[in-house]
Order: sequence, then structure tokens, then C-alpha cells
Amino acid sequence: MQAGIFPPIAAFNNRDPVYLQVVRHFKELIATGRLEAGQTIPSRRELAALLQINPNTAQKAYKEMEEQRLIITEGNSPSRVTHDAQLLGAIRAELVREAVEAFVATIRPIQLPTDELVEIVRAAYEAPKEGE
Amino acid sequence: MIRVEHVRKRFGRKQVLRDISMEARRGEITCLVGTNGSGKSTLLRAIMGLTPLSGGRVEVDGAAFHHGMYEKVAFIPDTLTMPPGMTVRACMTFMQDFYRSWEAARGEELLAFFKLDPASRVGSLSKGTAAKLNLVLGLGLNADYVLMDEPFSGIDLFSREHIASVFASELIEDRGVLFTTHEIQDVEHLIDKVVMLDQGVIAKEFYCEDIRQREGKSVLDVMREVYQA
Repeated sequence: MQAGIFPPIAAFNNRDPVYLQVVRHFKELIATGRLEAGQTIPSRRELAALLQINPNTAQKAYKEMEEQRLIITEGNSPSRVTHDAQLLGAIRAELVREAVEAFVATIRPIQLPTDELVEIVRAAYEAPKEGE
Repeated sequence: MIRVEHVRKRFGRKQVLRDISMEARRGEITCLVGTNGSGKSTLLRAIMGLTPLSGGRVEVDGAAFHHGMYEKVAFIPDTLTMPPGMTVRACMTFMQDFYRSWEAARGEELLAFFKLDPASRVGSLSKGTAAKLNLVLGLGLNADYVLMDEPFSGIDLFSREHIASVFASELIEDRGVLFTTHEIQDVEHLIDKVVMLDQGVIAKEFYCEDIRQREGKSVLDVMREVYQA
């Protein structure tokens, strides 16, 4: 597992529970395919060192992910990302829904007609990314 | 667990600690914060038995503090106390001779972690490097608890990050850590619990993740409320 897929410490904010931010980051890694089904993830201690977070917080994040069945830990072997395709699909849907909700909340006060808004979104989404 | 019960400390007519009760548990990192002169350092010194109490008591794992506790509770003061003429290597030897709980292998590991040169003399070390050596000497003890007074004070950003990374490493794991700092924003992710001192009393004591979850506040937000109210 390469360390590069984990954010530097500054990427976390101080006002949301850190363990939930860690869970969210794992969901993003899974939804974008940077972590694949069945892939081994770092140990709790490795993750704490990698993210520079409290080891108890890393533990809590893993517990939460186990409860959400996002990761599976069997016996003493390292934790792995679930193979459950339905669950993996749900994560993707959840992240998309959250992003759209945040976007809508920001844009709604501007009161654009829906068609115009959708057109702007389409143009922006389909435009070639800078540097490509 | 380190348990402080109704501790009071007076210097002449000045009551520095009024009635302090708090705990620092093993496996947790507890941060003592407070404005200048709020009694943080005095409290650490009081726990270590380095200053006589005017009242109250300190217990470590259920027993009153006695001289044998110095093997069990390491104290890293805010300045290096080794003589300037000694080399880093000599400091390590000193610790080995002086403490039964000194772990030579761990000491070497820490020297390497902080990239310290064993041949350099204490007097020639920069402030940041001296702070790192101070940590090496404290953390090299196989102590159950580590108390640190301002481990980040006056140290450059990168050295600070380097020191902070110790907190997330196995060098700290399973120990109880109690430390004071003014640079709270640098370590908010690293600590379990905050104890806020204000004018000799505990203004607030909480777990960081709880306050984020319940109130959506950072430690700094809570500090502003407490100290600027």
C-alpha cells in the first residue's frame, strides 16, 4: 500500500470528529477505485503514523468501518476492503448524493432556472480538465 | 492512572493552584492548556513531587508518589538539564547509569528517529535539537507515564511536526502522556483529552472527539470561549 493515497495532516479539519473524516476518506478511496475490493489496508498503528492522528482515533475509525461492513478483519490478519458489490455501490451513491446536496445548498440562494443551471453544470463537467 | 486530587499550591501569598482534581490515563494523550501563568508547569512539577504541595494528593496507579516513581513516570522539562560540556552519547550513558528503566535499544532508536549526532555537545545544540535530545532522554525510559512541559515551544515548524509524529508512533503507544503546549492547533488531531487550566482551577476537561461530535467545535474554539469570555 502506497502512502501517497492518504492526505497530509492539514487535510483534516479540527471541527468534525477525526474518526469520521478518516472513514469518509476511505469511502472516497474506495469509490474512486484507489482502494479496490479485497485490498489490504494499513494497520491501525500504521494509519495513525501515516495520518499523524491519535492511535485511539485510528482504532475508532476502523471500528466504525467494521460496523459499516466497509472493511473486514478476520482473526489476526490485516483488515481488507469488503468484496460486497452492493455495499461498494452504495458508498459511491452516498458520496455523489452528499456532493450534490452540498452543491445545491450553495447554489440555491442564487435562484437560477433549473435548465440554465443544468446547462452550466453540463458544460463545466464535460469541459476538458486543465492540463489535459 | 495519574490521579490528582484537590491539589493546592501557594507561592508566598500567591495561590497558583487552587483546587485541582484531574486524571491522566494510560493509553491516552492528555493535553494541559492554559494562558501564561495559569499554573500548567507548576501542576506538572507538583505531580512529579518536585515542589511541595500546599494541600491535596497525587496518586500513580493507586499509590502515593514516592521516589521509586521516577522509574515509572518520566518527566521532560521545558529545558534540557544536561551539562553543556557533555556529548549526546554521554547523556545516554548517564541515563543508563542513573535509571534502571532506561532502555538502551529504544534510546538508540530514538536517536536515529531524530537524526541526532551522538558526538555533538549539549552546549552546541540549537534550541530545536536540544528539545529533541530532551525527548530522547525522556522517552528512552521504559516508563508507564510521560510528562512533558512545552515540548513544542520555540521549535521550527518541521521539527515540531517531527516531534508531533512521535505522538502517533509506537514510541508512545500504551503509555499515558500528559503534556502542556501553547501550539494546540498543531496537535489537535493527536490528543485524546484536553484539560484547561485558568487561574489555578480547571475551567474545562473534555475529550476532543466528543466536543467535535457534540458541538462541532475545535479545541481552539473551546479555548477562545473559556479564555476570552
